[in-house]
Amino acid sequence: MPLEILLVLVVGGIGGIALLLHLSGRSELLVMSREEARAAWLRHVPGDDILDVTVSHTGHAALVQTNEGPGLIWAFGADTVARHLVDFDLLDLEEGLAVVFHDYSAPRVHLQLTEAERQRWRELMRP
Amino acid sequence: MKDNLIYPDVVQWAVPFFIAAILIEFAWIALKNRGGRYETRDAITSLIMGAGNVASGILLGFIAWGFFMFLWELTPLDLGASVWVVVLCFVLDDLRYYWVHRFGHRIRWVWASHVNHHSSQHYNLTTALRQTWTGTFTFMMIVRAPLILLGFHPAMVLFAGGLNLIYQFWIHTEAIGKMPRWFEAVMNTPSHHRAHHGRNARYLDCNYAGVFIIWDKMFGTFVAEQDHDRVDYGLVHNLGTFNPIRVAFHEWVGIWQDVTQPGLTLRQRLAYAFAPPGYSHDGSRATSEMIKADFVAQHPEETGTPGLASRNLQAKGDRVYQFDAGPS
Repeated sequence: MPLEILLVLVVGGIGGIALLLHLSGRSELLVMSREEARAAWLRHVPGDDILDVTVSHTGHAALVQTNEGPGLIWAFGADTVARHLVDFDLLDLEEGLAVVFHDYSAPRVHLQLTEAERQRWRELMRP
Repeated sequence: MKDNLIYPDVVQWAVPFFIAAILIEFAWIALKNRGGRYETRDAITSLIMGAGNVASGILLGFIAWGFFMFLWELTPLDLGASVWVVVLCFVLDDLRYYWVHRFGHRIRWVWASHVNHHSSQHYNLTTALRQTWTGTFTFMMIVRAPLILLGFHPAMVLFAGGLNLIYQFWIHTEAIGKMPRWFEAVMNTPSHHRAHHGRNARYLDCNYAGVFIIWDKMFGTFVAEQDHDRVDYGLVHNLGTFNPIRVAFHEWVGIWQDVTQPGLTLRQRLAYAFAPPGYSHDGSRATSEMIKADFVAQHPEETGTPGLASRNLQAKGDRVYQFDAGPS
């Protein structure tokens, strides 16, 4: 196939499918309840004992206290990703916090938090 | 010898079909409200990975091609280009695919290339296109050497590989339940391949087939999709990024970080690169056998069920012994 036609097909195909998905509501972030966050954590880390779960006001993230220490679970598109909070930096943002993991496969998470939540989460995120 | 044998690049010609099939699957899911899920960024990442795979083939394909033509010059055998030779080549290349795919899950160096195909938590036709950019660096082209030395022309071998890849496109869907029994018995199907994409303990390291599921049945790696254990798609440690660069290279970065950490023996460094994924010198990580053993310990009623037979399990203490025993 001529390279020009392949390029048009690929770029047009990706762009068209992306537009279709976005316009049909497939870009919405997952919203978790406390129980959903608990279940999602155990899906990612099935061996953990969960001691407590704190869900952000948006429902897009939750802090999970476990027998292995604190962890963060957050909405990743329509799904979730979880990491124990062992090697990370925190940055204050206008809308909340940024968690910078020293992990090439999960580099950074932006958390939308109220001012009260930000103070509380900072305390809870200490290992 | 036929040095001028030419076949079409079937994967490139299939691109319009891929796009059309994705649109049809999405329309089906939207209309029926079942049969799978789509998410915008996940799908875009998968599609960009697919485009990158084609680009890497255009840029780096000369390496494998040069190697194959070198072998073709060496071999005195030439099976010709009849239809039956093409059919035989397709079947034998599928056996080749089975072993390359199995190595892709059992050797971390090869897994580093293949892992991105498993990195989506979704399972739809875009997932089929989430392909590697770094396959050349695994050197798995070596596994094709016997075919060429037996007298199958390199162009025919690549043509068979392209058809194999196209076959595998349609099995990346939740919109199809089970195919007729005879078909499920012989061919790789959406059901068999869903199990392959599972991160559930039961489904780790099973169903490596490309086209014919019989290879898994012959070599003891077949696990049927279980109604009571719904497939959970993705990786044991799921990625927290949609960035295609990170998706493509994260496991290579992980190998580099592990191999270069201070205080390891040479044997341990080599194991971080070539042992099964999940190896660690201090037992801090889990291989698929350990994950299965942990699962069975928590669910003893599942012992001996598909994917959880005792030969698939490995106690935690055994692993350090397996890779680290002996002089360094």
